[in-house]
Amino acid sequence: MSAVSGVAIRAVAAATPTRVARTADYTYLDPDERRRFQKATGIAERRIVGPGQCASDLCLTAAKAALAKLGWAPDGVGALILVTQTGDQPVPATSIVLQDKLGLPQSCVAFDINLGCSSYPYGLAVAGSVMQTLGIARALLLIGDVSSRVCAEHDKSAWPLFGDAGSATALELDEGAPPIHVDLCSDGAGRDAIIIPGGGLASRRPPVDGRIVDATGSDGVQRRADNLVLRGADIFSFAISRVPGSIQRAIAASGRQAQDFDFLLLHQANKMINDTIARKLGFTSDRVPTSIEHYGNTSSASIPVTLCANAALFATPRWVVASGFGVGLSWGSATFQLPAASILPCIDTDDAY
Amino acid sequence: MTLDDFIEKFAFAIEVEDGSLTPDTHFKDLSSWDSLNTLAVIAMADADYGVTVTGRDIEAASTVADMWSVVSSKRAAAK
Repeated sequence: MSAVSGVAIRAVAAATPTRVARTADYTYLDPDERRRFQKATGIAERRIVGPGQCASDLCLTAAKAALAKLGWAPDGVGALILVTQTGDQPVPATSIVLQDKLGLPQSCVAFDINLGCSSYPYGLAVAGSVMQTLGIARALLLIGDVSSRVCAEHDKSAWPLFGDAGSATALELDEGAPPIHVDLCSDGAGRDAIIIPGGGLASRRPPVDGRIVDATGSDGVQRRADNLVLRGADIFSFAISRVPGSIQRAIAASGRQAQDFDFLLLHQANKMINDTIARKLGFTSDRVPTSIEHYGNTSSASIPVTLCANAALFATPRWVVASGFGVGLSWGSATFQLPAASILPCIDTDDAY
Repeated sequence: MTLDDFIEKFAFAIEVEDGSLTPDTHFKDLSSWDSLNTLAVIAMADADYGVTVTGRDIEAASTVADMWSVVSSKRAAAK
């Protein structure tokens, strides 16, 4: 049985920068293209960090809010796991820096996971498993990305899609908590669908900082080697063909039926993708909360951002099935219960630590 | 499930006037064609025909009739 038992979600917080970038103001698309872009993707605006703010800052703000809500002392947090693809520096892992900045004890387990859109189900599975196996009573699962920092502004296949966000999910061992059932998948044959090809050791850049030059991609867009390339059509086909099965497997593992879940939470990539997945699974739109209109595709943080952007829906205990899918290719689904009022509203912040 | 139905659905998906496409239309040469149209065609093939068309399928096709042969052969294979 693919499940994490005895781990409860206590609080979810999300933080986004205050700066708003509107689709209507994106001059690399003409007005008709902007209209069609917004209709297809559902994205009206996104939040973009200023030069001094990192994913770690957004996650830290969210973590502080979650700890404050729960009244948890920092020294009681035994694990901090950060899921990001836009860490502060290549080495050391950003989670370890956050252990210090949050004032967590040196006995705290801290490490990073390099995943994007599939972060939430993977993060719950890894954090919950570590807690259960090592007997860690309380943990913070921090998830966030600043995708705006890795996309070329003139790249209309990527730049207008992404928003920046960080999140914190507070987890606690609790024998009475219902199991979190997961379905987790990978397909590296699709690695080129979303990729930052340069900057790592496989790109054979000079061993010291060499000059990074623009290159023109097969789509005619000029990018630096350390810019993100996104092939939207490949992601679209992948998502609508393989994600519904993952969600169905997680639901089946839980022993419940689709109609037993209050909400389906989907990674916020594109409205057309999510409408298609929801239709295939028989979820009507009122059971599929979104955040894409005002926050865009917030990458790894999209599921917590969507929870927090709809915090009012979670005043009472709710059963949720959530699914993340994309870069890797990596995808997964999780079923879990959220206790009453465990979701904090989205926090606007320009704080950098 | 005829070519004529497909052309109608194709035109609706990519937001061009009904009747403006023929089987021989080279759809990627249309002035309005862009990557969003690619997504719309994939969504239409999924919703109306229950098949998954890939970006590569669309890259390889030239005419609307080419796309119909991709969709109809995938449908036949799925049955």
